[in-house]
Amino acid sequence: MLGPNGKNRTGLETGRDVLTLHQFPEHDLTSNRNFKRSSSWQAYGIATLIAALSTLIVGVMATRFSPVNLIMIYLGGVVIAAAYCGRGPSILTAVLSVLTFDFFFTAPFLTFTVYDSQYLITFAMILIVAVTISSMTAQIRRQADAAHEREWRTANLYSLSRELASSVGTETLIQIAAQHIKNIFDAQIIILLADANGQLVMKISATPTLPMNPHEQGVAQWVYANSQPAGLGTATLPGSQGLYLPLVTSRGAAGVLGVYPNQVAFSPEQFDMLDALTNQTALAIERSRLAEETERSRVQIETERLRNSLLSSVSHDLRTPLASITGAVSSLLENEYTLTPESRRELAQVAWEEATRLNRLVGNLLEITRLESGGVHVEKEWQPLEEVIGITLNRLEAQTNTHPITLNLPLDLPLVPIDGVLIEQVLVNLLENAVKYTPVGSPIDLLASFEDHEVKVTVADRGSGLAPGDETRIFDKFYRALPSLSGGAGLGLTISRGIIEAHGGRIWAQNRPSGGAMFGFTLPLEGDPPEVDLEND
Amino acid sequence: MTDAGTPPVNGSLILVVEDDPQIRRFLRATLTSNNYRLLEAGTAQEALRQFGMQHPDLIILDLGLPDLDGLEVTRRLREWSSTPILVLSARHEDRDKIAALDMGADDYLTKPFSAGELLARIRVALRHALRTAQTDEQPVFVLGGLRVDLAYRKVFIDDSEIHLSPIEYKLLQVLIHYAGKVVTRDQLLKEVWGPTYTNESHYLRVYMGHLRQKIEKDPARPQYLITEPGVGYRLKTE
Repeated sequence: MLGPNGKNRTGLETGRDVLTLHQFPEHDLTSNRNFKRSSSWQAYGIATLIAALSTLIVGVMATRFSPVNLIMIYLGGVVIAAAYCGRGPSILTAVLSVLTFDFFFTAPFLTFTVYDSQYLITFAMILIVAVTISSMTAQIRRQADAAHEREWRTANLYSLSRELASSVGTETLIQIAAQHIKNIFDAQIIILLADANGQLVMKISATPTLPMNPHEQGVAQWVYANSQPAGLGTATLPGSQGLYLPLVTSRGAAGVLGVYPNQVAFSPEQFDMLDALTNQTALAIERSRLAEETERSRVQIETERLRNSLLSSVSHDLRTPLASITGAVSSLLENEYTLTPESRRELAQVAWEEATRLNRLVGNLLEITRLESGGVHVEKEWQPLEEVIGITLNRLEAQTNTHPITLNLPLDLPLVPIDGVLIEQVLVNLLENAVKYTPVGSPIDLLASFEDHEVKVTVADRGSGLAPGDETRIFDKFYRALPSLSGGAGLGLTISRGIIEAHGGRIWAQNRPSGGAMFGFTLPLEGDPPEVDLEND
Repeated sequence: MTDAGTPPVNGSLILVVEDDPQIRRFLRATLTSNNYRLLEAGTAQEALRQFGMQHPDLIILDLGLPDLDGLEVTRRLREWSSTPILVLSARHEDRDKIAALDMGADDYLTKPFSAGELLARIRVALRHALRTAQTDEQPVFVLGGLRVDLAYRKVFIDDSEIHLSPIEYKLLQVLIHYAGKVVTRDQLLKEVWGPTYTNESHYLRVYMGHLRQKIEKDPARPQYLITEPGVGYRLKTE
C-alpha cells in the first residue's frame, strides 16, 4: 500500500482482489482431483478417437502424399494426445497410430508385417515424442496444480485471517474459524477452550446433542497438555475418531481444535493447511484475549478513578454541613455572654438546618449503597397512591410553602402495588428538586393518571427546564444540574430511579412544551388487586 | 383538648434507657429544663432494676442496647406494667420499632429527632396514661373544626353533622381513643375489623381514604389523620 503504486490502489481494486480470492471456491481443488480420478477412461477414449481420426485423414491423403508426410499427420495426433490426455493415453495413441499406419499404409498392406526396416525408426520416434511430450505436459500440469493449490491455500488463509481480524470477541472468532475449516475440509469441527482452571470446555461442537466421548476427551486433554497434535492421521493415538490440534499461543495452548473428516483421512498438504488455519485461529484467540484483558484493566482503572472522585465528592458534601454546625455551635459556646438573642437563635437555626441536611445526605448515601448492592427489599402492598402523596406533602410542608402545589388526581385511581415508604421517597426527591430548581412562587403540578395497566405520576414545574443532555444525565450518580446550588449530593434522582426500577416501572425527565421541567414515572399494576368489600352505608 | 401549651404533668419521673452518653446528655438537658425528673440507665438490666425500684411515669427506651434487645425489655415491662414506653430507634431498626409498638410500646421516635418532637410525644403519652387511669373518656372529643360526640355517635365538621359508615366511625373512634399516639396498622385492623384481618392492610388504607374524604378539608394534605409511613396512623392533636 505504501509502495510507489500505493497511490493508484483504490479501495475498489482492493475490494475486487478480495472478491477474486473469495471466489476461489474450495471446490476448485476437489473438482480437479475428481476430474483426474474419474476421467482416465474418458482420456483413453479420446486418445483412441484421435488415433482413429488421424487414420481417417491419412486414408484420405494416402494416394496423393508420400508416407513421410502421412507419418507427420499421425505425429500431430500423438502430440495433441500427449498434450491433453496424459502419458498413458498418448502412448495408446502412439501405439494405435503405429499399428494402423503399419496395417493400412505400409507394404505389405493390411498386415502388421513391415518390409522396410526404416519404418521401425519412425515408430520408435513416434513413441519417444508421445512419451516426452506427455511427460512434459504432465509436469507442467503438476506445477500448475501446485501453484493453484498454493494460491487456494493462501486465499483461504487470507480470507480466514481477514474475517478473524474484522471480528471481535473470542466466541465470534472461534465460530468463524470453525465454519471456515468445516467448509474447506468437509469435516465436523469442534473447538475446546481452556477455562481459568485449565479445564477444556466445549465451545463449538460438531453434534450439539452428543457429548464428547471420554476417550476423545482424553485425547483432546493430552493435546492441550502437550501442545502437540494427536489423533487420526498422526503418530500419537491414531485410533481416535478425530484429529486434534493444539491452539498454541505465546502463552501456551489456549485450547484444542478437533477435526472429524467426513470421508478419507487427510493428505500431508491438507494437514499442512489445517495446521496453518489452526495457527491463524490460535493467533486470533490470543489477540482477542489480550484485547479483553486490556479492556478489563481499563474498566478497572476507570472504576477506581470514579470511586476516588465519588469519595472526594462525598467527603466534601459531608464536610460542608459539618463545618457550618461546628462553626455555629462553637460560636454559641464561646460567645455565650456577648451574643444577642437574635444571633444566638440564628446560630442555633444554622446548626439545626445543617444537621438536618447532613442527616439527609447520610440517609441518601446509605440508600444508594443499599440500592446498588441489591439490598433494598421492596415490600409491595396494594394501596391508594393518594395516601403516599399525602404523606409526602405533609413531610414537605415546610419546604413547599414557597411553591404552590397543584394536585390533579383522578378520583377513580386504582390501588397500586407499591412499597409506600420507597415511593414516598421518590416523590419527596422529585418535589424537593422542583422546589430547589425553580424560583419562589413558581407553581408545581403533581399529576397522576391511569392507563394500560400502569399508573403514571408526573411532577412538573415552571422553572427554566433542563439543559440539553440533562434528560438522562440528571439520573447519574452525583450529577447536579446546577452545582452552585447548595444542598443535595446529586443522589436523589439516582435513588429514585433505583426505586422505580425495583418496582418494575420507568422514570424519565423531559422539558414541558410550555416551559419548565417534568419528571414522570410509572408503576405497573401487576397481579390482581385485592377485593375490598365495601359496607353498605 | 387543647392543653398543648400547658406545662407538662408536673415533675413526672422519666426513666431514660440509652447507652450512648451523648444522647443521654442531650435528653438530660432537654428534659430537666422542661421540669421532668430523670432516672438514667445505660443497660437493660439496669433499666429493669431502676424501674422496679422507682416506678417512673414514663420510659424512653432505646432499641439498640448492649445487653438486651429493646424488644425484650418492652415485653418484660409489659408483663406487669402499663407505664408508657417511648421507643427510640435508628433508621435501620424499622422492623423492631413496629414490633415494639405491637408489643405494647406507646410511641416511637426515629433518630435523629428534635427536642420539640420528643416533648410532644412525652406529653401525649403521659396524658393518655392519665386518662386511661381515670377510665372516664371525655364524652365529646374536639379537635379544631372536628367534633365527635362519642355518647351519641355523631360527628361534626365546623358544626355541620357529617355521616360516617359504621366502619369509618369505628376507625375514627379507635384513633380518638389513642389520640396523639401512633396506632399500628395491625392494631387498627384488629380493633376495627377483628383479629382475622391483620393481613388485609389495604382495607385500612381504603377506609382511611374514605374517612379523610369526609373529615379533611384537603384529603391529599390531611391535617388530622396522619400516616406514619410504614408504621400506622396517628390522630394529630398538637
